[in-house]
Amino acid sequence: MTTEKDIAVQAIDDARALLGALLASDWQELHVVSGETEIFIARSGGGINPMREASPPVGEEPSPQLPVTGPETPETVVTAPHVATLVDLAEVGAMVNVGQKVATLRVLDEVQDAVAPVAGRIVRHYVRPGALIEYGKRLLSIGNAA
Amino acid sequence: MAIKRLFVANRGEIALRIVRAAQALNIETVVAVSDADRDSAAGRLADRSIVLGPPAAAKSYLDPRLIVHAAKESGCDGLHPGYGFLSERAILPRLCSDHGIAFVGPEPDVIDALGDKLKARAMAQAAGVPLVPGSECVATAADARREGDRIGYPVLLKAAAGGGGRGMVIAHNGDEAEAGFHRASAEAVAAFGDGTLFMERFVPEARHVEVQLMGDGKGRVLHFGERDCSVQRRYQKLIEEAPCAAMPDHLRAQLHQSAVDLAASVNYRNAGTAEFLFDVQRQEFYFIEVNARIQVEHPVSEMISGFDLVQEQIRIAGGAGLSVVQQDVKLSGHAIECRINAEDTKRDFLPSPGRITRWEPPEGEGIRLDSHMSAGTMIPPFYDSMVGKLIVHGKDRADAISRMADAIDGFAIEGVPTTLDLHRAIITHPDFVENHIHTRWLEQVLLPDYGKKAA
Repeated sequence: MTTEKDIAVQAIDDARALLGALLASDWQELHVVSGETEIFIARSGGGINPMREASPPVGEEPSPQLPVTGPETPETVVTAPHVATLVDLAEVGAMVNVGQKVATLRVLDEVQDAVAPVAGRIVRHYVRPGALIEYGKRLLSIGNAA
Repeated sequence: MAIKRLFVANRGEIALRIVRAAQALNIETVVAVSDADRDSAAGRLADRSIVLGPPAAAKSYLDPRLIVHAAKESGCDGLHPGYGFLSERAILPRLCSDHGIAFVGPEPDVIDALGDKLKARAMAQAAGVPLVPGSECVATAADARREGDRIGYPVLLKAAAGGGGRGMVIAHNGDEAEAGFHRASAEAVAAFGDGTLFMERFVPEARHVEVQLMGDGKGRVLHFGERDCSVQRRYQKLIEEAPCAAMPDHLRAQLHQSAVDLAASVNYRNAGTAEFLFDVQRQEFYFIEVNARIQVEHPVSEMISGFDLVQEQIRIAGGAGLSVVQQDVKLSGHAIECRINAEDTKRDFLPSPGRITRWEPPEGEGIRLDSHMSAGTMIPPFYDSMVGKLIVHGKDRADAISRMADAIDGFAIEGVPTTLDLHRAIITHPDFVENHIHTRWLEQVLLPDYGKKAA
């Protein structure tokens, strides 16, 4: 018995809830992607609106792990975009370009690629092929090209 | 083959409820969580939790492939979908079946058939279950008058192609039926390009009643009594009771039999609920739909039957038959459930996620709380706003109301606004106490006044 109006009212309720959550917290910005809907709310002087930028490549979902930055060789960690079984990883030492495949993931009978968000050399692996990896799990890191 | 490790494909209080039921049966549990639920109570209690994806439900709790992959790779041989999310999507039991996992719920073909309103009505009709009296297509104003006279007023004229209330007119007599035909037909042409109408009886003050069912998949179906869920806002239930005290015993027996007949006619497996509209004035009930899952309000049926429905669900999915016969299901007393939501009733029920800073639930005889909350719990903004279900059981309805009033008074929640005060207003309202309520009562009677007092 849900009508279009109910859905619209629900959407407005949801948007107000997000605004309420932001105001009640000490967060500077909030970015929610749900189905076909995407919403970005920032406090005055907040960050750059990600919805105005190009979509990130597959495999580069927002993740709880921030890029790990070392003092000498900055590294970027590639994390799992969702739960999956790891099939293989690019070899340590290999050079990769932006958008190049660095890992193969399997969900049921389908495989998909995780790609490099930056260009550089594969520095280390964090997991072994065959493992069930959860969302946000570190897969490997890439030493950023100078 | 009895389930040894159960995957819980849900969140919140029902995930916790399922984990506890499985543990009582010595079954291991793996709970699926999104990134927002990493620290959930269900995940902590379970043997293992697996982070499916980001907070957005579409990329976590609503992705059947991720769920079945995680279940299979974590060695689970059973999967419980809870309610909401994917619980009534046939793709989930189909994927489970493809990968050797027992689904805690009905067969996918049954889910599909019951999810199609026309098919479900046809199934009900075939099983002899009463439907809202109505007409075939109505072609002229004279037909509308004749059908209206036959069905009994008031009647609803509805666009056959319709939805959303457009092309819908209520008629209280033959003249209104004729005039209404012209208006509804013109509206239907304008809105849908098709002026075809049909008519059905309009029940102005209906109750929502539903029967809790449990089937073995081989044609044997038990009922666990009925529930009255007439306190609703925008079709969302706020308070549920068992039994429906407004229903006389002879009608109650017919209601139970209708629900059992319908479920038995499709060899229904596992838990389900047949929903009906109860026309109190006419003392008739009409089939609405079947919900092919465990429902939010199942605890009130558990309280009056003393039966753990979730444990029974898991046993049946593991291949066991029904553990009891109908004569063993003894219903006693009266139970009431209040769904407590983190919503601001002063701001049009605005969902109010945030951190719970104080959580001191009431305790005592006949009081049950199904909740995943505690002091310090963060309610994420991504999902529904229910923080818990407060359930009481008393020797009769008056006793249950009194116990609920005390339980609400003894419940301290701080940090986010909740609907607890509204529940107090409802259960102490003379109309509720005297049981003179219907599905529009909350919106038409209580809320307009409540808004004024609150402001």
